[in-house]
Amino acid sequence: MALNELNFKYKVENPQSIAKEYSHLGVVGSGDLEVLMEKKDFGGGTEVKVVTPVTGFDKVWEMVVTKFVKGNNLGDLLIEINDNNATPVVVSMRLRQALAEANKKEKGGE
Amino acid sequence: MLSWDELQKAKFTETNARERAFGLVDKGTFTEFVSPRDRMPSPHLPVLGEAIGYDDGVVTGIGLIGKRPVFVVSQEGRFIGGAVGEVHGAKMVQAIKLALKAYEDVKEKYPDSYEERLPAVVISFETGGVRLHESNAGLLAHAEVMDQIQDARGKIPIIAVIGSKVGCFGGMGFVGAATDVVIMSEQGRLGLTGPEVIEQEMGKDEFDASNKALVFRTTGGKHKYIMQDANFLVKDTVGGFYQQLQEVMKLPFAEIEKFRRIGSKELVEEQLELVKLAVELGAKDSMDVWKYYGNEDPAKLVDMGPEEFLKVAKRRERKLG
Repeated sequence: MALNELNFKYKVENPQSIAKEYSHLGVVGSGDLEVLMEKKDFGGGTEVKVVTPVTGFDKVWEMVVTKFVKGNNLGDLLIEINDNNATPVVVSMRLRQALAEANKKEKGGE
Repeated sequence: MLSWDELQKAKFTETNARERAFGLVDKGTFTEFVSPRDRMPSPHLPVLGEAIGYDDGVVTGIGLIGKRPVFVVSQEGRFIGGAVGEVHGAKMVQAIKLALKAYEDVKEKYPDSYEERLPAVVISFETGGVRLHESNAGLLAHAEVMDQIQDARGKIPIIAVIGSKVGCFGGMGFVGAATDVVIMSEQGRLGLTGPEVIEQEMGKDEFDASNKALVFRTTGGKHKYIMQDANFLVKDTVGGFYQQLQEVMKLPFAEIEKFRRIGSKELVEEQLELVKLAVELGAKDSMDVWKYYGNEDPAKLVDMGPEEFLKVAKRRERKLG
């Protein structure tokens, strides 16, 4: 019944953090999620925390998150996801949008 | 997220709570209180296995409109229908409390010119009322918001902005009605019992919730405008609401008080006359009431664009205000 919390840690070569100090994107609507990215001194590592009502799909979560972190060479970064039953495609898309927002040059929303 | 300039042209119904909060005050002036980075989710949802959000479905913060500090509360309908739980409610209450504190501060600091710097509270409603997962805490939050609105009476204006998809229903319908000024768009909806709930309790003959035209001409902005439940009707853009807020901010407080629909013996009597009318008129549809108030061809008003509607629509005449 309780919420499912998943934690992942990564270390990639020549990692890159985000331009902004932090960035937030998305709304925890049905089938959607919010992503919070924060610059952190993790010695080049990336930590990801997922909170979701979904159980039994931990492997899928790991695949989606791993592909995103490794594919973008991310490091010194904390990523937190509050999910409400989003599909893997939506998760991937929101992560990419959040990263784009986090690297936006002009002063954006927050 | 869209820039402030893009937001002004964006449809109010298509923006999220954070974008609305950002776009309802002067460019670049919005600062969020307890932002997602502060991580304040509901403590009750995890034990129920329900998804949490770091802002608990409401964005609060402060911005400026001209010289006036504006405390913004913006609800997010996509998070559990914008329903009010413990954290969500506490954020609303604290925003109004801070506005009252700012009122005292401004008065002390600018004894001669405080009126042009008077704070205001803007609440963008998008909610179905109490979050049933947190029933008691949610109910209490409603009472506390009501309390704060009463404390603000005669000091700072509380302005309701209603134009989002979910509308303003349930207990928050009362709260919306208790504000000083109500600004709506055609797409905004205000009521107590939502259409689906009426249908579920009283049957499809009483109210057909799948009949969108019926739902909108009963609870929507145009009807509320004709009935004077909404003081202003604006276009469905963030800029439309922002510009109307700017206009309201220019008015002296005595003028703003006149927009109130409830809150005094005289106003209650005025409302009771409407109850009497409802019985006497025996209206079957809101269009019957529109006709009663002098709109010869009420069906025409339904599909009319907002600009033309504002020109031709005849409203209930108010005795007070």
